[in-house]
Amino acid sequence: MGSSNSSVNNIPNAQELMQETGFSAAHILRLHERFEFLDKHKCGQLRLVDRPTNQPQDFGAVQELALNPIGDSIISAFFSPGQETVDFASFVRILAHFRPTDRNQSRDGAQQEPANSSIRKLKFAFQMYDQDRDGKISRAELLQVLRAMLGIQVTEEQLQSIAERAIQEADLDRDDAISFDEFRKSLEKVDIDHKMSIRFLR
Amino acid sequence: CHYSRPSPSPSTLLLLLLPSTKPPLPERGLLLLMVLVFLEGSVLPLGAASSPDVTHQANSDNHIVKEAGHNFTKKPFPVLSLDYHHIQAPFEISLWVLLASLMKLGFHLIPRLSGIVPESCLLIVVGLLVGGLIKLAGEQVPPVLDSRLFFLCLLPPIILDAGYFLPIRPFMENLGTILMFAVVGTLWNAFFVGGLLYAVCQIQPGNPSILHQLELLPCLLFGSIISAVDPVAVLAVFEEIHINELLHILVFGESLLNDAVTVVLYHLFEEYAGVGSVTVMDVFLGIISFLVVAVGGVLVGAIYGILAAFTSRFTSHTRVIEPLFVFVYSYMAYLSAEMFHLSGIMSLIACGAVMRPYVEANISHKSHTTIKYFLKMWSSVSETLIFIFLGVATVEGPHNWNWTFVTVTVILCLVARVIGVVGLTYVINKFRIVKLTTKDQFIVAYGGLRGAIAFSLGFLLNKDHFPLRDMFLTAIITVIFFTVFVQGMTIKPLVELLAVKKKQEAKRSINEEIHTQFLDHLLTGIEDICGHYGHHHWKDKLNRFNKKYVKKCLIAGERSKEPQLIAFYHKMEMKQAIELVESGGGVKLPSAMPSAVSMQNIQPKKLPPAKPAERALSNLPKGREEEIRKILRSNLQRTRQRLRSYNRHTLLADPYEDGLGDLLIKKQKMIELERKIKDMNNYLTVPAAPPDSPTMCRARLASDPQAYSMKPEPDSVPTIQVDLASPQSPDSVNLMDEFRRAEQQHEEDQGLMMKPPSGESGPKKPGEEDGSREHKLMRCLSDPGPSADEDEDEPFLP
Repeated sequence: MGSSNSSVNNIPNAQELMQETGFSAAHILRLHERFEFLDKHKCGQLRLVDRPTNQPQDFGAVQELALNPIGDSIISAFFSPGQETVDFASFVRILAHFRPTDRNQSRDGAQQEPANSSIRKLKFAFQMYDQDRDGKISRAELLQVLRAMLGIQVTEEQLQSIAERAIQEADLDRDDAISFDEFRKSLEKVDIDHKMSIRFLR
Repeated sequence: CHYSRPSPSPSTLLLLLLPSTKPPLPERGLLLLMVLVFLEGSVLPLGAASSPDVTHQANSDNHIVKEAGHNFTKKPFPVLSLDYHHIQAPFEISLWVLLASLMKLGFHLIPRLSGIVPESCLLIVVGLLVGGLIKLAGEQVPPVLDSRLFFLCLLPPIILDAGYFLPIRPFMENLGTILMFAVVGTLWNAFFVGGLLYAVCQIQPGNPSILHQLELLPCLLFGSIISAVDPVAVLAVFEEIHINELLHILVFGESLLNDAVTVVLYHLFEEYAGVGSVTVMDVFLGIISFLVVAVGGVLVGAIYGILAAFTSRFTSHTRVIEPLFVFVYSYMAYLSAEMFHLSGIMSLIACGAVMRPYVEANISHKSHTTIKYFLKMWSSVSETLIFIFLGVATVEGPHNWNWTFVTVTVILCLVARVIGVVGLTYVINKFRIVKLTTKDQFIVAYGGLRGAIAFSLGFLLNKDHFPLRDMFLTAIITVIFFTVFVQGMTIKPLVELLAVKKKQEAKRSINEEIHTQFLDHLLTGIEDICGHYGHHHWKDKLNRFNKKYVKKCLIAGERSKEPQLIAFYHKMEMKQAIELVESGGGVKLPSAMPSAVSMQNIQPKKLPPAKPAERALSNLPKGREEEIRKILRSNLQRTRQRLRSYNRHTLLADPYEDGLGDLLIKKQKMIELERKIKDMNNYLTVPAAPPDSPTMCRARLASDPQAYSMKPEPDSVPTIQVDLASPQSPDSVNLMDEFRRAEQQHEEDQGLMMKPPSGESGPKKPGEEDGSREHKLMRCLSDPGPSADEDEDEPFLP
């Protein structure tokens, strides 16, 4: 697929992005190609919805996302709250969360936690649950996720009881919602570094 | 006559093992029993050996007499006669099995010993003792570790047990690593050991020794026999050290998958050892053969697995033979694979792993428990027998000890293993997300134990083709002893010393399940966005295929549509229900029902309050109530005691320890509920059950005196209103009714289907709904074996 943009220097802010996210030049190139594939209108930004029809626009090109139960949540995770467009830099930053963790990475204290650390990964997942960004997963938000995942196959009652049980198990400070720490605790047995990494983004 | 020679009393040997403090009375009885079994085992064959002709003669005499009919010498009718040969074979088998089982019991009476020495070592020692006894008694030691017996009877149960309960997810995640170790590692070991052994044997041309007869191909054959890591030994040792899941599955998976390599190498070298040379063509054919053996074995297993799953779809009317299908299909898979010289082990693993999710969705809870217990029982006995037989076979020989050969073999095996693991890890780590550390590598290398498979393969060798077979056997036995004793005994302290991560508490919470599924979807989505067809993408595709086509075919009834999360949730609720019932609750409630039963009626606190009751609580005469309470309590206590007595292959964690947290939550809910009931007494409906009905038993279930003391909870605890009998359903579920109905067959008609209950809004079919609820309760309560076994909770293709 040798196009005119075969050099990473054509991509704006490429070096900064590489520095920030830890992606190699090859990866940035590849992601850029992907970005351009999704960006049908060649405007340098991916749009959330097509204004007139309210259908997911650019991300709709990825057909498998339609089959994914939480496809909509994933798409909206790329967009900052309130924004309707995402540029390449943000696209890359989001994807940087899914790089495999570098265990031996040494960083000085002043530097921000890298995007692909365990905490940041968990935070990303947490924010997908916590749509209103209040720092807690309320019962309604959990129900929404469950409804999306389980769909029409279960009754409302069953969903309620599952959500009830889930909150009861995880909620340690009894505020009827799951905070980030509680979320992290309930996933302590899961190897997040492994689970939330995409190999080819190494 | 042999029996005049006294055999050294086994009791003295046993007494040596006893600690200084005398064991309590029942244990002494057990030891006495063991002694008796020993004596019986040694005396009876001796008795038979010395007097067979007499009885035989007498029989033939009688026959001749009867036929002749004329010269009748009337003998007194034999009131009691000894005819040992008639029952000899089954009797001896039973004796061995009994001995093995008693040994297992015995070891746990000596806690100090079983803490230091792994069971496998003790069993080999016992085998040595028994072999020694038999030899001292002058009898011919039976060829117990006969290869046919081993491969056809002793090995399959262990492998089936391993395959059926194989944790699929870690296995699949690490499949690449496991295959590398199994295939490349075993090849490396075989050639390294075989080649260097040949080289060593060829040195010292000055003084020609027996070793110089050894050619290259027999050496390579020996190398391939000795290089395979043995699943039985690995299982036996690793079970006791509880290391983390990753290492366990790596070593164990390797031991299972290297069977294909071993089979091919063995046959290849055995074929051509006679000829003396191997050409490139043969090597090429060998590689093809390897692929055929491995893939063929897996295919055969998968086919039988699917057949078994399909059969289980129709067993709803004949629940009692459900476990049989599982066992027979698996065994046939093994035999079929062996018939074609494919890898029987891999076929068995594939069969068990493929059939499990579908069979478990179809069979009843009782059958599930039966399968689990039987598998554990058979594999346990098998394992014990194998180690004892190893000991016996060691005593028998035939031996040909050659210092050079044996020591070089042992050293080479160790060295080869270490180099192999380190080298492979270096390569593997380039492809792994979670790398293997040095500690991991050490454990993997150290855990490469050899066992009875190597011995049996050596035993199979033809003496004519391999004149040095005895030397091989001696060396194999030495290596086995070395690995099992030295490595087996020291691995536990080493694990402690190196602070290797241990196995974590297995309880999977609903949160974990929800979140992992969520993350799976998330990662699949991200992969799709990146346009990368990775791990998650294919897993997702497989899941979808599974859900769409396969499940519909292989799972009966409504359960084929049940989403994974719901199945998991049901299981958890069921377990809790069982635990709650068996612990007797602790809270007095007019109708204390585990939430599983009335799952569809559970309303969280915030939802509108329950519907008004139709009938008030019926009053039982006090005396009757007490009686019922007593009966229940004693039943439940007996169940509890039964559950506590398992130890090693334990399938059940004591519900007290394990489910305590959950129980406390439940009890809090119950207390809250009780309070609410007191306030609103038009809350719950109780049907018009007959006065002495167990309706009240349910209530008084919880009246066990050893109730927990609960601290008063603030109102913020989310409570669950257990609305037992909503107006629509005419009859709520009765516990005792279920026990009674256990005998009846009508519940079998519908099979145990977990229909997702129709919502409140939809048209209610009360009978059906009841049926399904009852069936759910039936499934959970009608047998005493809840298991906290994590393997159960593993969803297929999570």
